[in-house]
Amino acid sequence: MWQAFWALLGAAATVAACYAAGALMVDWAKAPLKKPERFPLSFVLGASILHLIVFAMLALQIAYRPLVVAMLAVPIAGAVWKGSWKLQGAAVEPLSRALKVFYGAIFTAFTIYYFFHSWAPESSPDGSSYHLGLVARYLRAHGFERIITNMYAGLSAGVEMLYVPAFVIGKHSAAALVHYAFLVALAMAMFAYGRRIGKPWVGAAGALLVYASPVVGYDGSIAYNDCAVAAIVFSAFYWLEIWDESREARLLIPIGLLAGYCYAAKYTAFVMTIYAVGFVAWRSRTVRSFLVVAGCAASMIVPWAAKDWIYLENPVAPFFNKVFRNPYRRVVSEQEYNDYLSNMGVENKWTLPLEVTIRGEKTGGLVGPIFLLAPIALLALRFREGRRLLLAGLVLFVPYFANVGTRFLIPCLPFFSLAMALAISYPPALAAVVLFHAVASWPPIIPRYAAKYSWRLDRILWKQAIRKIPQDRYLRQNFSGYGVARMIEDTVPKGAPVLAVNGLPDAYTTHEILVGFQSAYNDDLTDILNSGWDDSRQPTRRMIFKFREQAARRMRVLQTGVGAPLEEFMAHEVRFFSNGSEVQRDPAWRLRAWPNPWDVHMAFDNSPATRWRSWETASPGMYLDTDFGKYEMVDEVRLDTSFDYVNLRLQVEAMEPSGVWVKIASDPEKKTIAPPVAIRKWASRELHARGIDYIVMQDTDWGADDMIDDPESWGFEVIAKGYGARVYKVVAP
Amino acid sequence: MPEPYAPPVQRQPFEEGRPHRMVRVVNTTDGDWIAHVVQDIPLSEPGPWKWTGQKPTVKVVARTNQGLRYIIDFVLPEVTFKVTGPVTMTFLVNDHPLDSVRYTAFGEQHFEKVVPPEWVEPMKENLVAASIDKVWVAPVDGAKLGFILTRIGLTQ
Repeated sequence: MWQAFWALLGAAATVAACYAAGALMVDWAKAPLKKPERFPLSFVLGASILHLIVFAMLALQIAYRPLVVAMLAVPIAGAVWKGSWKLQGAAVEPLSRALKVFYGAIFTAFTIYYFFHSWAPESSPDGSSYHLGLVARYLRAHGFERIITNMYAGLSAGVEMLYVPAFVIGKHSAAALVHYAFLVALAMAMFAYGRRIGKPWVGAAGALLVYASPVVGYDGSIAYNDCAVAAIVFSAFYWLEIWDESREARLLIPIGLLAGYCYAAKYTAFVMTIYAVGFVAWRSRTVRSFLVVAGCAASMIVPWAAKDWIYLENPVAPFFNKVFRNPYRRVVSEQEYNDYLSNMGVENKWTLPLEVTIRGEKTGGLVGPIFLLAPIALLALRFREGRRLLLAGLVLFVPYFANVGTRFLIPCLPFFSLAMALAISYPPALAAVVLFHAVASWPPIIPRYAAKYSWRLDRILWKQAIRKIPQDRYLRQNFSGYGVARMIEDTVPKGAPVLAVNGLPDAYTTHEILVGFQSAYNDDLTDILNSGWDDSRQPTRRMIFKFREQAARRMRVLQTGVGAPLEEFMAHEVRFFSNGSEVQRDPAWRLRAWPNPWDVHMAFDNSPATRWRSWETASPGMYLDTDFGKYEMVDEVRLDTSFDYVNLRLQVEAMEPSGVWVKIASDPEKKTIAPPVAIRKWASRELHARGIDYIVMQDTDWGADDMIDDPESWGFEVIAKGYGARVYKVVAP
Repeated sequence: MPEPYAPPVQRQPFEEGRPHRMVRVVNTTDGDWIAHVVQDIPLSEPGPWKWTGQKPTVKVVARTNQGLRYIIDFVLPEVTFKVTGPVTMTFLVNDHPLDSVRYTAFGEQHFEKVVPPEWVEPMKENLVAASIDKVWVAPVDGAKLGFILTRIGLTQ
């Protein structure tokens, strides 16, 4: 029960602090807000300010519990003292009883589901892994850490910064409740927008089209950030509209802060930053206004870009690694990741409308069948408000094709929903549309038409929320990842990192979980692990270049072919020979490679379990270069690699004293070679050498069978087993 | 571009190593044993010892068909043996009879034998079974009981 209480308190304190900070700024800016706008717009604006304060605390490494709690108390006290706490503002026309009852009833019904779900123990995949895993990690360190093993640490995390104080007080569920507060704020803001433009039925209908949407309800009640992002982009839009009516210069500051907060909350929302800056430039036609907005936006953006630049050598990590080359994220891994997100198994993009509205299987959730009617929003073009809503919605829709997950539609949903409602405008028709949407989105109804495993709520988790069912018991029974995380916590020595092929709920263990695809370092570890069992990754092919003996100071293997997509240039070992004897590797040698210069040593370490990889599709000009430091007699070069070369063309070149490279051999003789019998032990020894002594494998992971069969041949010992997974310890490296 | 690297410390080869062993044995204490059952092993049977019917069969996926051995651990219980007397067990892989053994005493038994590679299809589900010629029929409900199984499968 206490867990439930602290979760509520943590969320309430964080939301209150956001509102207080925002209300103070609203009053300072003399913003002409109407009363229904006061809470949602102040809350989201305050969130942007508070997020920056939390960022500063983490950067200064002072995120200690008392300081974090005090950080929440200060704006609340300030708002109470200054009189800003009060929900004040210009009065608006009273609502009709029919509207209050009809929309109030639907809102309340869905709220019961959402509120208890967000209050219940957090068991979402991303929420319990990186959204909260990183928050928990920062709090253990009392500040940011340089994390090169988790690409998600490079993402801007403006919403997660608010999860920090919530987590300090109420742990995981408090964070989910904060996210849910954003969803409520979004619905309130949309409703208020309708009232501002004199169409309360439109505002109410638009708000409920979003609020009742299945994907919104699920996402908004877990520790994700999509609904928060929607609230932020809509708030930015809203403030722009208010500024456009009043042209009050002070309003440009909240506009700029929110515009920048869009980027800080999620990279893909950066388009709203551009919209806001462009809107102000267009409407004001003054450089000063533009600079104020751009400057305030920069104050939100620069900290995140700087953090990534300092820690990861890439201001927009984990993306654009081909532009900002760095040793922490692979080009090919980024490409595979992006390819997956832009596809998600939906080969025919014309099926996306049905997938995201009705089926919700491949793209994870559905917005609801009513959105098949989205084209009617075009009828809203007859109103100025409609044109602006559609423009903003369209701008936010543009990045969607980079990630076709249904939840990535959430940020543009408020705009299209309001535009749809505006297009209809007639209250009885709006009521009918909303009623249909509410029925179709009602959790027990969804399974009647959606895919079986679509992402949705299925029951009211009130017993779990108030912890009548203990959190640990509920999670162990319903979330196998939690059981695995706790198994790791119980059996792996404190502080030891754990290698995993697939993601685990990091937020429930203090151990660093190194997930295969999440960084260059993890890519290497997984490649080594897989070399133990996967013969396509083992050195089974030898390319032998023979040529007339010559003295060379520097030689390289140059790749000249054009690889098929994702076909890489790879080498387990490169060796030089003279009269059949290997030229012994010398510490004076100097090794270079392009691309991926950082791993060149892996082709010169005498280990069959490691290899240098280009980690990007092979293209002409890639090379492995050896500077002997003196002239060596060489008549043969051998390159051991795997068998999957098809389009690659290799040649050996020597550097002449003039510095010019000259080709000395091509068309190598190719031989099939057998990997060592103890290849699995080679792999585990390499992992051990890199400080990895614990591996968790879920029984369904690639390679898991091989380890289950014969852990001894790997030099492994099973130290824990359960929840469909095993934890191995490297015992005989 | 980083500075060029010197060659790293050279790894030394392992002096000894043995080939990897593939094990596809369904152990009745495994959490996922039910997923392997094809017939004649009641899924509701509590505990690690499972009473079987006449021809308990499991399915296993082997990555290779080389060097495989059939393996089974089972018990001929005294209570049924007293009624049935000596029994003959036939051990099968994909319905190919691998061997038949006559047991003249009750108690714990182990059987193991090399499986011809052509009987096993790699990366596909293969059936591993044991058949008993005489079953004990319960007088009360007519249930037919064969023997008690603890593990069965293929190993390398």
